[in-house]
Amino acid sequence: MSDELDSILARPMNRRGFVYAGALGAFLAAGGGRLAGAAEAAELREQLSGTLYYYNWADYVNPKTYGEYTKKTGVKVKKDFFASNEVLQAKLKAGARGYDLACPSGYMVTVLAAEKLLQPIDWSKLPTVKKNIDPRFRSLPYDRQNKWSVAKDWGTTGFMYRTDKIRERPTTWREFFSLMKKYSGKFTLLDSSPEVIGSIATMMGYSYNTESRSELNKVRDFLLDLKDHVHSLDSATYKQKIASGKAFGGLGWNGDGIYVETKSKGKYVVAKEGGEYWVDTYVIPKGAKNPDAAHAWIDFVYDPRIAALECSYTYYGSPVKRRQLQGKPAKSALTTPAVFPSLKLVKNLEANKVTPAGTRMRERIWTEFKAS
Amino acid sequence: MAVAAPRAAESRGPPAGARAGSGGPRYPGWLALPAVFWYLLFFLGPLAIMASYSFGEISGYSDVKFAWNLENYRYLFDGTLYTDVFKRTFLMASAGTLLTLAIGFPFAYYLARYAKHKTLLLLLVIVPFWTSFLIRTYSFLIILDPEFPLARALRPLGFPESYNILYTQKAIYIGIVYNYLPLMILPLYAALERMDWSLVDAAQDLGDSAFRAFRRVTLPLVLPGVLAGSLLVFIPLTGEYLIPEILGGGKTLFAGNLIAQQFLEARDWPFGSAIAMVVIAGLTVALLVYARAVGRQEQYG
Repeated sequence: MSDELDSILARPMNRRGFVYAGALGAFLAAGGGRLAGAAEAAELREQLSGTLYYYNWADYVNPKTYGEYTKKTGVKVKKDFFASNEVLQAKLKAGARGYDLACPSGYMVTVLAAEKLLQPIDWSKLPTVKKNIDPRFRSLPYDRQNKWSVAKDWGTTGFMYRTDKIRERPTTWREFFSLMKKYSGKFTLLDSSPEVIGSIATMMGYSYNTESRSELNKVRDFLLDLKDHVHSLDSATYKQKIASGKAFGGLGWNGDGIYVETKSKGKYVVAKEGGEYWVDTYVIPKGAKNPDAAHAWIDFVYDPRIAALECSYTYYGSPVKRRQLQGKPAKSALTTPAVFPSLKLVKNLEANKVTPAGTRMRERIWTEFKAS
Repeated sequence: MAVAAPRAAESRGPPAGARAGSGGPRYPGWLALPAVFWYLLFFLGPLAIMASYSFGEISGYSDVKFAWNLENYRYLFDGTLYTDVFKRTFLMASAGTLLTLAIGFPFAYYLARYAKHKTLLLLLVIVPFWTSFLIRTYSFLIILDPEFPLARALRPLGFPESYNILYTQKAIYIGIVYNYLPLMILPLYAALERMDWSLVDAAQDLGDSAFRAFRRVTLPLVLPGVLAGSLLVFIPLTGEYLIPEILGGGKTLFAGNLIAQQFLEARDWPFGSAIAMVVIAGLTVALLVYARAVGRQEQYG
């Protein structure tokens, strides 16, 4: 709330800053043009100016990246944060304007585009992206035409367990869920219907995004049967519960899996049957005042050096081609299977896709599960 | 209750004839304007929007289309899935109210009639409010943890080693009683504090047993306080969703959780609005019952 207030209060001042920075940029371009090394930067500065209003999840950018970006483009970054995709959506829908760049998850791109809250991406301004992006992160189900979004980070939904608390070494969903029953009350599930229902569907050999009523009915029966064995439904603090040993494991995201691996004797697993890989994206909201700066940011972070910088900080997978990242300082992130699972496992993963009908069916099952 | 209790007290005093006529002091109505304005803008307005949403439907991903039909309500009462949630919510709110009453009443009674350090004790009741509700609830995760000294201290009393109440119904009720107790104690205390205890003495002098005197004298006089405290606990409990989420491990679904789920996860505002409207309708009925009870109380009090 206060972040929002800050940015509203600060805006008139930054509009003035916009003029000064523009004048400074022009001055530099005119005066410093002769310096060979500065030529390219000056050219960029001539086109770009002002401020980039960046709306993002908290702690999702390496702080060093901001500085490098400003150094290269002359554009200052003004940050604002959201805590969930739904908050981002609600805010844009309520008419918030002036954000130049935002980072919704993939499924939310479909929603935002359908609600006409986004500007199209101009791929001619993204040469570095075109060169370096792993084709796996183009034309995803949430944005088939690559019209509205560019991938930012990616990760997986799998499970984690404490290697010192259980003797088993599960590698599949089937093994994981049977362990939930064996160690009743010791495993957590995410408090989120898409991940839990999708993972069970995957175990049963259906699509993660299935909308078949008969398939979903089988998923429901399996899910209801798990109810009495669940430690807790928790998406926010389950990693601490597992790392502290209060729970032995749980279904969750790889970022939290890495937490458990670092803070305790734990292991994060991408299930052999498959499951979800989620992609967070860059989008340019409608009403952006500085779309050029937003494109420049996206293109800038696809530089392998910057991508590696990001990776080493967030510990999320980068959509830049893996071999481009080799030898960059992101080494430890690169060799962590929870960040970059083997390509054999990645092959089975599906991207999450939402439709209104699918959401309603899943919500109903989820309500039944929680109410049982 | 702030309204009801003094009236009950006044009726004990000299005949209210002086005020009975229409010539009593008239207060300028505009004093109420700020409050009326506030309620219109921030309560009735949003309520009207929500009511109209509840007759709408989702179009596309989360746009609300005003369809003016009862589809959401039909879906809500289709089968027992959602009505069971309402039933459970009602039972939880009732049980929570009774528990806080059973625990709060003896304390308020002691406080009003016998306690020497009233201010200090009252302060102790209020002190928890200085900390955020969320933090107080989270702290119970530690207190109820099976590893916490409390669980170990209970073991000699016959609780088994594996006894765990965290993430169960019991934990939810412990959280509810703890968090809502002050809301019950304060109005009870306010009512009991105004009691003229010589009435009780008189009843006993005239042959009533202590229990009979309590039932026939004390209870009718403090009933408005009991009702006020019960409402203050019952109404927010029907919308309670943090305590079951945190202490119940998210495994129990109450109406509040259901509404939050529709708005935040399913992005189904029309359906969420319909659920909220049903809860509001239920509460209105409870309030009417309360108003009647207080009305009757005034007649006999």
